[in-house]
Amino acid sequence: MAGVAGGGGGGGGGNDFQWCFSQVKGAIDEDVAEADIISTVEFNYSGDLLATGDKGGRVVIFQREQENKSRPHSRGEYNVYSTFQSHEPEFDYLKSLEIEEKINKIRWLPQQNAAHFLLSTNDKTIKLWKISERDKRAEGYNLKDEDGRLRDPFRITALRVPILKPMDLMVEASPRRIFANAHTYHINSISVNSDHETYLSADDLRINLWHLEITDRSFNIVDIKPANMEELTEVITAAEFHPHHCNVFVYSSSKGTIRLCDMRSSALCDRHSKFFEEPEDPSSRSFFSEIISSISDVKFSHSGRYMMTRDYLSVKVWDLNMENRPVETYQVHEYLRSKLCSLYENDCIFDKFECCWNGSDSAIMTGSYNNFFRLFDRNTRRDITLEASRESSKPRAILKPRKVCTGGKRKKDEISVDSLDFNKKILHTAWHPTDNIIAVAATNNLYIFQDKIN
Amino acid sequence: FSRRRERAARGLGAGGAMEFRLEAHRIVSISLGKIYSARGQRGGLKLHKNLLVSLVLRSARRVYLGEPGGECALPPRPGPPPPPDCERLRRGCRPLASEAAARGRPECPAESPRKRSAAERDPAAGYPGKKPRRETEQPPPQEDMETGNVASLISIFGSGFSGLLGKERGAAEATEPGQVCCEQPVLRSLNPWSTAIVAF
Repeated sequence: MAGVAGGGGGGGGGNDFQWCFSQVKGAIDEDVAEADIISTVEFNYSGDLLATGDKGGRVVIFQREQENKSRPHSRGEYNVYSTFQSHEPEFDYLKSLEIEEKINKIRWLPQQNAAHFLLSTNDKTIKLWKISERDKRAEGYNLKDEDGRLRDPFRITALRVPILKPMDLMVEASPRRIFANAHTYHINSISVNSDHETYLSADDLRINLWHLEITDRSFNIVDIKPANMEELTEVITAAEFHPHHCNVFVYSSSKGTIRLCDMRSSALCDRHSKFFEEPEDPSSRSFFSEIISSISDVKFSHSGRYMMTRDYLSVKVWDLNMENRPVETYQVHEYLRSKLCSLYENDCIFDKFECCWNGSDSAIMTGSYNNFFRLFDRNTRRDITLEASRESSKPRAILKPRKVCTGGKRKKDEISVDSLDFNKKILHTAWHPTDNIIAVAATNNLYIFQDKIN
Repeated sequence: FSRRRERAARGLGAGGAMEFRLEAHRIVSISLGKIYSARGQRGGLKLHKNLLVSLVLRSARRVYLGEPGGECALPPRPGPPPPPDCERLRRGCRPLASEAAARGRPECPAESPRKRSAAERDPAAGYPGKKPRRETEQPPPQEDMETGNVASLISIFGSGFSGLLGKERGAAEATEPGQVCCEQPVLRSLNPWSTAIVAF
């Protein structure tokens, strides 16, 4: 496992580690404003920057401080680096519809110069943002005063060369490209290609390919809209480019299937190269089987050999060379299977949980209810349930594993299924690309945890 | 959470078939309520969620009305009769009438749904749910009133996706809540139905 080897037990993200509280960002208020609810979390390629998007259309970027020699026991903390309003609510007058400003996804571009670039998207429009630092300003202009007032040109008798002087660091975010009007349905995914020049955006029925420099057109590469909408049986739920092969991408569906497509085979990738589906287990069939098999997230492993899918109750790891079943299945909260009717009634069954890999692909993480989140170690097959709560938010406090009591006598420290708070859901989590630092979004709070330094 | 309700949804209720139907009944009304409230949601109709709701609605409706394929929503029970071909029904194909048809793969509109004109396809093919009218009028006699009353409502929302697109207004006009409930004392006693109708 990248970064730290667990003592004696081999590297792993599960029980071998002791996860500690590091930081929490966000208001403590019990009353949560809808706009403050975090809707996406993403580390950049180096892990030095951590971006969050919220329902109010804002993006907040945290930067990791340099390691401090005077405090060797704590890794660099994440502090606010930049905040900006990415999307505003819009009104589509033609369809008489409001377009939500909620940020559905943020994806960073690999860094190529001093500035940082990211893509952020709401339901309809994708924007490329440039985040740059300014720590110098020019002084000694000829045509204007220090306070900016224009000088009378006839009064100028001598010329001087402006000098750059240091100033307080200012971080500016500016929209460099706006990719609009290409999606009839709601955008659920964006994914930057490994060629660093193109990216895809996916809505319920279509996937478009864009060039980062070109905003006035995109190529439609997948279209599953039936000629007759009455025949609609499935929608696209997530899509991602392969991390190394720039011609390969996958998309998942509401029917629990994943299609892998190769853009070299044809311009329109309606025919998949590979089709991943696990046969249904007839004994667990219910009215809600279709809903719980809908895939809410798909992520390639860093190696590119595997991909992971999240459906309502489980996380599955697939080997790209085996289409007929996943190689690993992890139950996230199987105790909810008997509660599906109630979860349908209160809409929780439609919650879209995300999942993520650690840097070495040896562990995976996903969220659950009651502010619980789960980590699975793929090597040891051990798993752990942790909670993001203010109560366990003392600096460097070790998180205690949590356990849900599924029946019979409830042990001390266990929580029964009926006591779970279904309003406290962890849908968005992110794992640092190389270190054991995880970011967990709990409604309007962002928790950062890291493993204990030995 | 109601344990009895949950067990019924899983098909393990002691009441057996009746409990399924009551559960299906309840799920239909919950689903209709969700579709109705989706209309006013900020950000426009959420295609994914409404598709899932309409699929649940279709399954529950099949169970409630005792249509073929209703068993597909439930775990298989041991013993005869042999289970229906749920896979084909799920894909929206016509239930196979003969073995000969079973060998080929005819009329599966969901397989390559795009860009096939209506003329290419057998007009009678498509979802089993697309021929609701005839079926809903043949329910068990004692339920004649109820299913007749909501048949038009269910057929609009239960048959594929058309119910959500453009026919929503039609649904409200198709039933007249006040009249129907008052005239049918049997119906009035079944609260979930009246709730569903009043919602529209």
